[in-house]
Amino acid sequence: MSAACRKFEKALARGEAALAGLEPHAAACPDCRAKLLLWKEISAAAPALRKSWESPHLLPGISRVLSAERAKAARQQPPPPRRRFAWVPAAAAAALFVLSMIGLSIFKPGESARDPLARPSFGKEPLLGDETLKEVEIAEANYLGSIEKLSQAASPLMANPDSAILVNYREKLQLLDSAIGDLRAQLAGNRFNTHLRKELLAMYQEKKRTLEEVVKEVKS
Amino acid sequence: MQFGRPLEDRSRVLVFARKKEETLPESDRPGEPRDEDARLLEECRTGEISAFERLYELHGARMKSVAANLLGNLADAEDAVQESFLKVYRGAAAFRGAARLSTWIYRVLVNSCYDMLRRRRRRPVEVAAAGESRETAGFAVPASDHPLRLSLEACVRDLDPRRRAAFVLFEVEGFTHREVGDILGVPEGTSRTLLFEARRELQRLLSRRGIVAGARR
Repeated sequence: MSAACRKFEKALARGEAALAGLEPHAAACPDCRAKLLLWKEISAAAPALRKSWESPHLLPGISRVLSAERAKAARQQPPPPRRRFAWVPAAAAAALFVLSMIGLSIFKPGESARDPLARPSFGKEPLLGDETLKEVEIAEANYLGSIEKLSQAASPLMANPDSAILVNYREKLQLLDSAIGDLRAQLAGNRFNTHLRKELLAMYQEKKRTLEEVVKEVKS
Repeated sequence: MQFGRPLEDRSRVLVFARKKEETLPESDRPGEPRDEDARLLEECRTGEISAFERLYELHGARMKSVAANLLGNLADAEDAVQESFLKVYRGAAAFRGAARLSTWIYRVLVNSCYDMLRRRRRRPVEVAAAGESRETAGFAVPASDHPLRLSLEACVRDLDPRRRAAFVLFEVEGFTHREVGDILGVPEGTSRTLLFEARRELQRLLSRRGIVAGARR
């Protein structure tokens, strides 16, 4: 036995494998044998360090804390998260609106669409309002302007028609002029009468179309 | 220094340790499959308190023991266990299951113990005064109490926290090195290294106390 034997410490410094190799030496060296035995005893005695004691209040305490946490979380629960694509319908509606506006600006109603005759509301009321009457009079004036120009172009032909079709056109124009004359006479005492104004505008429209056809016929 | 206990006592300690292992609940035994883990995790994710009570039934005793050995104080150990359950409750929904639930809760526990040790270092006077009375109150010591166990317990408390955790988890609680690695967040090899360093340090501390296997009988 050597009181100053340091082989165990040296083996310990080298690692676990070196300790295993110390066994033959330990068999002959009581000092190293005791140290090696203690080394093994540490592991053997360790499970005895396991602790066991009654904690009757621990589980109820944990349950209480968790219940409080749960209640707190329920109180502080944020509003449900907004759906990821919730903006899509709104964006689609906005895009549709923008496209509609662009379409309206491109396909803006022309002169003819401003014709009160084309308006669905025109004629529903028995009497015209001041604003509508003004619009109707403007439309009549426009028709009269067009009719005047077309009449100038067609009048030489209408005075001496050289074909049957032109004769028919002349008779139609005479009928239209007669109807226009009657309506004007009726409107003189009833300017706001919607029906009469509508009839008059229809007559003007028909006369204009007839004159256009006459001019077209002559040219062809 | 002579510790006058005969050899039979030493073997009685070992017998006690073996008996203790046999009386452990099945799920607490090292290496037992824990099929209930996944189901229990799902229940924990829903925040069902009953699931946490079941978790306590399965692991509570072992968690208390781990915490008591890491903190050296039973009351603090209970606080650490309670704190861990709260953390597990809060984190269960986000837990993705890279580790098993049973490993994860011990990881949470060990970290809670580290936090408590850090807090204790910041207010040592206050804790030391309270600790004296709380140290072993209510602790059921084995009938065959032994100087080696007492000295070992005292020396374990002097270990560096990481080595102490590795020693407690592997040698005392019987986790495998793989489980210890998962719990401590280190590779398996590092767990082995930490354990070896712990045992080497314990050998040195015990020798300093005069506990040498040949001499104490």
